[in-house]
Amino acid sequence: MADATTPADQVPVTVLTGYLGAGKTTLLNRILSEHHGKKYAVVINEFGELGVDNDLVVDTDEEVFEMNNGCICCTVRGDLIRIVGGLMKRRDKFDGIIIETTGLANPAPVAQTFFVDDTVKAKTRLDAIVTVVDAKNLPARLADSAEAEEQIAFADVIVLNKTDLVTPEELDAVEAMVRKINKFARIHRSMKGDVPVTELLDQGAFDLARVLVHKPDFLDSDAHEHNDEVLSMSFEAEKPIDAERFNAWIGALLAEQGQNMLRTKGILAYEGEDRRFAFQAVHMIADGDFIGPWKDGEERTSRIVFIGRNLNRPQLRRGFESCQVA
Amino acid sequence: MGETVSADHILETRGRHRALDAYVVAATFSRSGKSCAFALGDGTVAIDGGPEPTNNDSTADWARFPAHEGAILCMATDTTPEGWITGGDDGRFYRIKADGTVNLIAPFGMRWVENVASFTDGTKTHLVACSAGKRVVVYNAKDDELRVADHPSTVTGLVFDAKGKRFAASHYGGASVWFVGSKNGAPRKLEWKGSHTGVAMSPDGDNVVTAMQENALHGWRLSDNQHMRMSGYPTKPRALSFTKNGKWLATSGADSIVLWPFFGGGPMGKPPTELAGGDGVTCNLVACHPQSELVAAGFNDGLVVIADISSARILPITAPGHGAISALAWSPDGSHIAIGAENGFAAVIDLSKR
Repeated sequence: MADATTPADQVPVTVLTGYLGAGKTTLLNRILSEHHGKKYAVVINEFGELGVDNDLVVDTDEEVFEMNNGCICCTVRGDLIRIVGGLMKRRDKFDGIIIETTGLANPAPVAQTFFVDDTVKAKTRLDAIVTVVDAKNLPARLADSAEAEEQIAFADVIVLNKTDLVTPEELDAVEAMVRKINKFARIHRSMKGDVPVTELLDQGAFDLARVLVHKPDFLDSDAHEHNDEVLSMSFEAEKPIDAERFNAWIGALLAEQGQNMLRTKGILAYEGEDRRFAFQAVHMIADGDFIGPWKDGEERTSRIVFIGRNLNRPQLRRGFESCQVA
Repeated sequence: MGETVSADHILETRGRHRALDAYVVAATFSRSGKSCAFALGDGTVAIDGGPEPTNNDSTADWARFPAHEGAILCMATDTTPEGWITGGDDGRFYRIKADGTVNLIAPFGMRWVENVASFTDGTKTHLVACSAGKRVVVYNAKDDELRVADHPSTVTGLVFDAKGKRFAASHYGGASVWFVGSKNGAPRKLEWKGSHTGVAMSPDGDNVVTAMQENALHGWRLSDNQHMRMSGYPTKPRALSFTKNGKWLATSGADSIVLWPFFGGGPMGKPPTELAGGDGVTCNLVACHPQSELVAAGFNDGLVVIADISSARILPITAPGHGAISALAWSPDGSHIAIGAENGFAAVIDLSKR
């Protein structure tokens, strides 16, 4: 559809998640009170509290609904669709949108909203999901709540907060727990959300380029993990990817196992194409687009990352490798 | 469309237009038809007072009044001859007069006022209503609360029927139809799974149609509980407009005007009629003429056309290039049309016989 919007007009959206008491609101207040010369529209939930003055605060009830589009796990935030539509009427008044979720929220509906709705897709781009983690209480949260685990799994950036409340050894252990779930997110250690704003906002993290510079896990074993823990794994392909084969494979994979696949991201070198193709999915909802060209002399290696439950490493590896041109 | 000299010919010869430098959220003529208000994303209202006596000069500014603190989200004509009602993201429900006077009808705190509607028979009944969050409130001529109606989720669309006896509100899971007059009555619940994002009622009051998140429409015929499903849109149908005679439901959301036949057993089992398509550009808004079987349509590239439904003839009003059309309205007598775009372009065009 020949719509007038170009990506440059798209408003960056940062999603701020984190379990109750992890320090989301402290971080949000820090972001807003820092002098960075930018204005943000802030969407807070009904339990949110904002300590600083901000012109554009929207108080919302999280209204999650199921889409009737055949995806059993496709849920979106109806309230965000309305709010983004409303905010676009005064687009010139802010540089970005920050959405704070409730502590108990599963991040999937927020992320999926940015794939599913036409208007939201055209006018905004999901810049990064930032998850605040409480270094002291994370082990307990992971033991008693699936949401805490999913919030880490979905993160592009993780703020490992309240580091002053644990010993250096405990901190390393907690970071290892985070890494086990999501080895691709950038982790910032902080005491009271004291992370520079430049490390949190306008990251372009969801557009993958930065995420995927991480080396894949060649050395990990191909043993099939049989458990419900969230793990992340990545694969590489040296030869160009056949777009048709990739679409057929990833389509079938997500349709079959999308419930277990929390995040899928990839940068692909399609055959005969000088631009990088960025692919991403949340559960079964996938989206992809060409991003900037491959650099001169850069190795055109395709990479894909999976974060989810019950991932079958050898099967995923074989599947991805079979998408290469023969 | 090829026979006109310039696709902007009508605009140039019969229109007054301005660059208002703010997102045009809605355009609405006053009930008398003498003036037209443009509700803007910067919270102000611009009013074109018509061609006489001062507005003949196409460079003269339209009157511009501050109203809401944030963006205006919705506007409807007031029950008075020269006024409008507006809702904003500042949680306010206002009445605005042609001289710029702003009266608060009701405040709603942090809740956005996302929908407004009005009805008057010109004599006894004067109703204005708005929705904020899950609540709809209807007010009488004195702005006293007449009816408070709560819904299971946020209200996304609000309309009165053609007699002002009932109103319908869309929300998650369907729509609710309420009687204005019965203080404590429960609504008639029209249920259909999914997110419903807007609502229309046919002129005879028998059909309620909602727009859905899943690029489709859903309808209920109240007399026999018949469900209607109308799908196939590439994007969300955001505008629903019945022709005056109720025969057609015009909708946006495709790259053409999509018209569903509400006669001869339709729309069930009947394909829609498509007009003014073929450019691959999304139709953002449609508005049916208040009397004739004509429909105006605004597209995402700035093109506005009027289509004659029976002859399928298309008259271009503005050419592509004026910005994505975001507001479209007929004057009450159908002699003028108002147009607004996301980039602030606004125009009033005189279509009367000369």
